[in-house]
Amino acid sequence: MDRLLLILATLAFVGGLVHAVISLRAGTWKENRWHWVPMAVGLVFQTAFLYLRGQQHGRCPLTNLFEVFIFIGWCIVLLYFLVGATYRLSLLGVFTAPMIALLQALALVSSLDKSVPPLRGPPNPWLEIHAAISLMAYAAFALACITGVMYLVQARLLKEHRIHSLFYQLPPIHELAKAIQRLAILGTLLLSAGLAASIPLHIPVSNPKLIFAWIVWGLYLAINVIMWARMLSARQTAWLAVVGFVVPLVSVWMVTKAS
Amino acid sequence: MSSSRSICLGINYRTTPVELRERLAFAAGKVPQALAEIRNLPGFEESVVISTCNRVELYASHAHGQHEVAHSALLNYLVTHFELTPDQAEALVCYRLAAVETARHLFRVVSGLDSMVLGETEIFGQVKAAYKTALDSGTTGRELNRLFQRAFNVGKMVREKTAIQRGSTSVGAVAVDLAGKMFDLKTCRVMLIGAGEMARVCAQSLLSRGAQSVIVSNRSYERAVELASEFNGTAMTFDQWEHSLHEVDIIISSTSAPHFVVKPEMIEKVMKGRRGHPLFLIDIAVPRDIDPKVNDIEDVYVYDIDQLSAIAEDNRRGRLNELGVCERIIEEQLEKFGRSSALPHTGEAPSFSTP
Repeated sequence: MDRLLLILATLAFVGGLVHAVISLRAGTWKENRWHWVPMAVGLVFQTAFLYLRGQQHGRCPLTNLFEVFIFIGWCIVLLYFLVGATYRLSLLGVFTAPMIALLQALALVSSLDKSVPPLRGPPNPWLEIHAAISLMAYAAFALACITGVMYLVQARLLKEHRIHSLFYQLPPIHELAKAIQRLAILGTLLLSAGLAASIPLHIPVSNPKLIFAWIVWGLYLAINVIMWARMLSARQTAWLAVVGFVVPLVSVWMVTKAS
Repeated sequence: MSSSRSICLGINYRTTPVELRERLAFAAGKVPQALAEIRNLPGFEESVVISTCNRVELYASHAHGQHEVAHSALLNYLVTHFELTPDQAEALVCYRLAAVETARHLFRVVSGLDSMVLGETEIFGQVKAAYKTALDSGTTGRELNRLFQRAFNVGKMVREKTAIQRGSTSVGAVAVDLAGKMFDLKTCRVMLIGAGEMARVCAQSLLSRGAQSVIVSNRSYERAVELASEFNGTAMTFDQWEHSLHEVDIIISSTSAPHFVVKPEMIEKVMKGRRGHPLFLIDIAVPRDIDPKVNDIEDVYVYDIDQLSAIAEDNRRGRLNELGVCERIIEEQLEKFGRSSALPHTGEAPSFSTP
């Protein structure tokens, strides 16, 4: 049942993407509710999946890499609704949908969904908060990465004088640059909160999960400083947001594989 | 639809030269009076007057047995109202539309298909304002209320379902579109190097969209002062502009110099101080003023006149390609309108919302 919900969520994201791409190619893409409806439907199915898994485990459904991927996907869609509306980046959905669809499709076809033994005692709330907030931070970094891609596409179209349908639909580069910066700050703040929540857990400093989390935190702190001090060009900053996301992505993979 | 009593008598930029069009334009303050006069003509029941720089159209519903009689009455009204000489009256070429042709024409007008610039959006607001004036003057009734309300729905539908209004079709407007994708125009500062007419048009377009200030530099300082005062900007002598490059976001160059005036090394120096803020350079001059290598600099975007013209032309072609789809939508809506016109009248007052 839970996998069916996930398949339906993936189909919703793919459906939304296909519709958007067809509209963009036809030059008739317009900002309206029909573009976020598939995203909202996908979010509902994702939420239902996570709820069922949470009920099964009796804790936050982050017991294996499969669930971690789905949880990150859920956070990305959730943040998309907040960020997309705030910065009027409606086309963000078109760029977000393939990432989520791919993430979920890979999770579905892989053998990552391994069952774990049930907890003997009640779950530690600090651990739950630490994991959930940290993954939400990673979702913010993912959105910064997607926004960075949008910036790079728009800047390239402007540079090469390729003024066509996609150019008119993509937001202005100054708005994208602002959104990248704010998402990177949001992610860093969330990750700081996640790391703070790990303090009461008394995790040893040599714990690889914690080391990776601190590396990601340090990287994004550096990225934020570079952005704030405008040490790089706007295009290089966008590249930083895109390439920088590789580190949290790899760290999630390695940490969850190791555990 | 065939039983409709709505008619339209009009002139536009295709039928009538501007000298006569301006003679026949209704001053905004005089429209309510004209509406009442038309409605009070024998056999007339309703009236709406659309008067813009490109068209004057009288819409009316009547109880005459034949549309021709009503058209003649409207034409006589125009001739009398504007006191046209017999020669002017003779030279007046009007289109006379009735029933389904009136609806088709109005649907096309509000959709921007009958405009000089295909797909332009201003006409929608102008027709809405004209209808509101008539509604407020109490000269509309069942026929014209239904016709105009449906026309506004069709206009919205055409613009939403097609790309008829996408992109700009003039060089000045294209420059503004591009600038809008780089900056918040309200914080933008513009520099004109050279004071050519096209540069003036571009600067005017940018200012009308909120650009903050303009600096004008020209070989003839008097011309720079003249243009700067037109924009409420600052004039500077031609040997000074290089020192002010760091103050602006958009540079429009239109000198008659036979060599490049703006060189990569100048812009590289400027970009160091801009800390990641883009710079937009528009080269209107022929031969070009801006070395194309400037476009290779990070966060710098250079467009010359050919590139801007090509974008405008592409947009014009794109709009023309959409024409067929727009016409299909209008025909579908005309058919539906014809069917709904045959339904009994509900007696409800129409709703009106401002654009």
